[in-house]
Amino acid sequence: MTFRSLALSNIRGNWRSYSAFFLSSVFSVMIFYIYAAFLYHPGVESGHIMAASKIRMGMVFCEYIIVIFSFLFVLYSNSAFLKTRQQEFGLFSLFGMTKTQLRKLVIYENAAIAIMAIVVGIGLGMLFSKLFFMALTVLLNVEESIPFAAPLKAIGLTAGGFFVLFMVISVGTALRIGRTEIVDLLKAARKPKGQLVFSRWLVAVAVFCLLAAYGMAFIMNSETFLVLTLPILITVIIGTYFLFTQLSILLLRFIQKRSALYYKRTNMIVFAQLGYKIRDNARILFIVSILSAVIMTALGTVYILQVGSKQNLLYGSPYTLAYSEKGLGTHDVIDPAELKRIVAEDGFTIAHESITAGVLIHNYAIQWGKEESWQSKSDALIISATDYNRLAAFNDQPSLHPENGKVTLVTQFIGKEKKSGVVSGTVNGKQTEIQVGGLLEANVMNWLDSNSYTLVMDDFSYMELRASVPEDQLFTMYGYELRNWEDSSETAAKLSKLVPEELQGQTDFRRSDRLKDINEMVSLTLFIGMFISLLFFIASGSMIYFKLFTELQDDQAQFRALTRIGMTRGEIRRIVVTQVGIVFFVPVVVGIAHALFAMKALDNMMQSSNWIYSFIVIGIYIAMQTIYFLVACSSYMKSMLRGASA
Amino acid sequence: MSVLKAQGLGKIYSSKGNVAYKALEDIEMQVEAGEFVGVMGPSGSGKTTLLNLLSTIDRPTSGALEINGINPSKLSDQKLALFRRRELGFVFQDFNLLDTLSIKENIILPLVLDGIAPKQIELKLNSLAELLQIKPILDKRTYEVSGGQKQRAAIARAIIHQPSLVLADELTGNLDSKSAKDVMDSLKDLNERFKATVLMVTHDPFSASYCQRIVFIKDGKFFSEIRRGSNRQAFFQQILDALSVLGGNFDDVPFARA
Repeated sequence: MTFRSLALSNIRGNWRSYSAFFLSSVFSVMIFYIYAAFLYHPGVESGHIMAASKIRMGMVFCEYIIVIFSFLFVLYSNSAFLKTRQQEFGLFSLFGMTKTQLRKLVIYENAAIAIMAIVVGIGLGMLFSKLFFMALTVLLNVEESIPFAAPLKAIGLTAGGFFVLFMVISVGTALRIGRTEIVDLLKAARKPKGQLVFSRWLVAVAVFCLLAAYGMAFIMNSETFLVLTLPILITVIIGTYFLFTQLSILLLRFIQKRSALYYKRTNMIVFAQLGYKIRDNARILFIVSILSAVIMTALGTVYILQVGSKQNLLYGSPYTLAYSEKGLGTHDVIDPAELKRIVAEDGFTIAHESITAGVLIHNYAIQWGKEESWQSKSDALIISATDYNRLAAFNDQPSLHPENGKVTLVTQFIGKEKKSGVVSGTVNGKQTEIQVGGLLEANVMNWLDSNSYTLVMDDFSYMELRASVPEDQLFTMYGYELRNWEDSSETAAKLSKLVPEELQGQTDFRRSDRLKDINEMVSLTLFIGMFISLLFFIASGSMIYFKLFTELQDDQAQFRALTRIGMTRGEIRRIVVTQVGIVFFVPVVVGIAHALFAMKALDNMMQSSNWIYSFIVIGIYIAMQTIYFLVACSSYMKSMLRGASA
Repeated sequence: MSVLKAQGLGKIYSSKGNVAYKALEDIEMQVEAGEFVGVMGPSGSGKTTLLNLLSTIDRPTSGALEINGINPSKLSDQKLALFRRRELGFVFQDFNLLDTLSIKENIILPLVLDGIAPKQIELKLNSLAELLQIKPILDKRTYEVSGGQKQRAAIARAIIHQPSLVLADELTGNLDSKSAKDVMDSLKDLNERFKATVLMVTHDPFSASYCQRIVFIKDGKFFSEIRRGSNRQAFFQQILDALSVLGGNFDDVPFARA
């Protein structure tokens, strides 16, 4: 037996506890490689695949996240492994293995695991990279498919990077071993469990922090976002930590005092062990809860952003097709009849159309009270209150009743609330001044150059003003809202070609295009983010899984004793399922609670409600965790029964 | 009335490619209600195999076993577990107390598992704890009490559900002589006052001297049997004499095996 074969047989012997760690490492290597394969793909590097630039940044960012996360994960797993193997190391030292040899052994083992994980990870990555490219082809709307490629740079970066990462950590952890006395190493596993204690103060801190965090999240909106985010994060993290280390014990104490519940068959064993399981695993449960919350919130955020951008889009562009013409009956931009014909030809129906005439005020300047006046080089549009209210009714915007002889300024975004002022500019070549009686945040027409500011005038004054302007100097806004407009981008492109080049600025036919962009961005983000979420998910599960198997021996001994005094298999199963279930699902429940409040805060900010989607995300998460739980539970149960019957 | 009846009990271990090994052969045994019986024999004589068969965690390859009129080998795994829980009590050399539970919780475990009402549990626990002098340690954890106290707690657990038969396996093996004496006194008290039927496997002549009757086995077979008169001192001497006749090696397994 050589030294190296000892290391290999150690891995074989500890395979059950290594397996989950190995799997997660393989997964991070695989994801990293797939992203790298895309980033270093010859087609992408040469700029041949134009659309790739859209996701380049995001992917590079994800690569960093993977590396940072892998570093923390491997670091944690390694030190946890070493802790569980103290007794083994004690034995080795007892038989005369020197510290250097012991360290060498650990480093050999880690190197073997690292090489295996890298080889398998890159192998799987190559296998799945074509699939990944195919999905990207669809999502990026690339004409030709992205060919399979295994760029050497990607392989080198992945293999080299991860090997260095593994080795740095294993050398770091290896240096830490051998500082304990052999006697303590040998006794490490048999340390008594000790008393479950909690501090009233820390329980109070936990409750206070969680309540405060949830309260702040509940009332948070776009104005308080900047102020509240950091306090919420800090209080949630502190609160969750003490929830597991302190509050859980308090709750168990409470249950233990209710003898009717506690002394009910297997409950006693379940709850008694649960306290220790939670205390010993508090840090893991805490990390997993936070990770779960992050995954769910992130997925929720992406969707809410999509919904938000779609709302913004509809707000800014109430009509699918919109344009403006100078003059009442002129059709320099496009003839409405022609437009309707093409629209009908392509199989779309017009849900709503509106034609609104108005008077342009050129080079307008606005002066609010005593503030300095604000000069603009562009135009603003004056329309009548009746026209405005007609448009507003269609767009679900507030209606208006301006004072006689004054205008109300309607614009998409108002900074500060202002009461009154004066707008001046030239109307039909004549310098004109009009009193502004109010300000309203609303949008009833697509945003073109001419109407970033819309001035709404009472009908009587408007008629007077209009009479002074010849018809060919009037300004007409056309708006057409299509049914199934989401699919109308081709029609819009066709129409756009009919518009003379110099008048393109007077049209807005791009709503469906913009929606496509938004959707594409969202699906790309989701697609790329999904792998990161999956990585988090698998890694957090594997931490729990690993912890479960470190305690296997103790548990086996316990269940052996319990079988002897007549506990049935069914009862053992019930105990195991409950315990493993709690360890698996408590962090999920806590994560969900956090995520729900985070989403509530997001809803407040976006002023929308997307609970259905949130529940879908949560549902998927629970389903996946359940699968993980079932696998872990049955494998745990199997080894438990095998141990218990021996 | 006999609580335990073994007729022609035998156990052969065989696995593919190995020679079959007769661990136990043709054991006849009968234990009456309220009896305190010891089983002694040199290492490798089949004591542990016998105890495993009697504990129903192993099945005999020949012969019949009847505990309280029931043949456990005819029961399903599930029924067998319930049978062990209700009809048998166990005391082990290494205590087998769960360290996540308090002493009290360990003792009442068989009752709790069987779904007895908490009030009744308290009642049973109180009288038993009084007798075994473990009242002050009931709320302590297993690591806070001495070996003797642990073993007395284990005895309480073995007896709290009033089983037909208490099986003890080297119960003083991990204890110093003072604790061993305390534990044996407790067991004898329970045997006398509660009429608990006890079958004990042991190496230790001193512990064995508490029994009313001792069965010696050697090489898997019945060897001899001695009964106690009125004097424990004399019985102790008798045991030593019997052991010297029995021969074999009593020292090759260290007392503290764990």
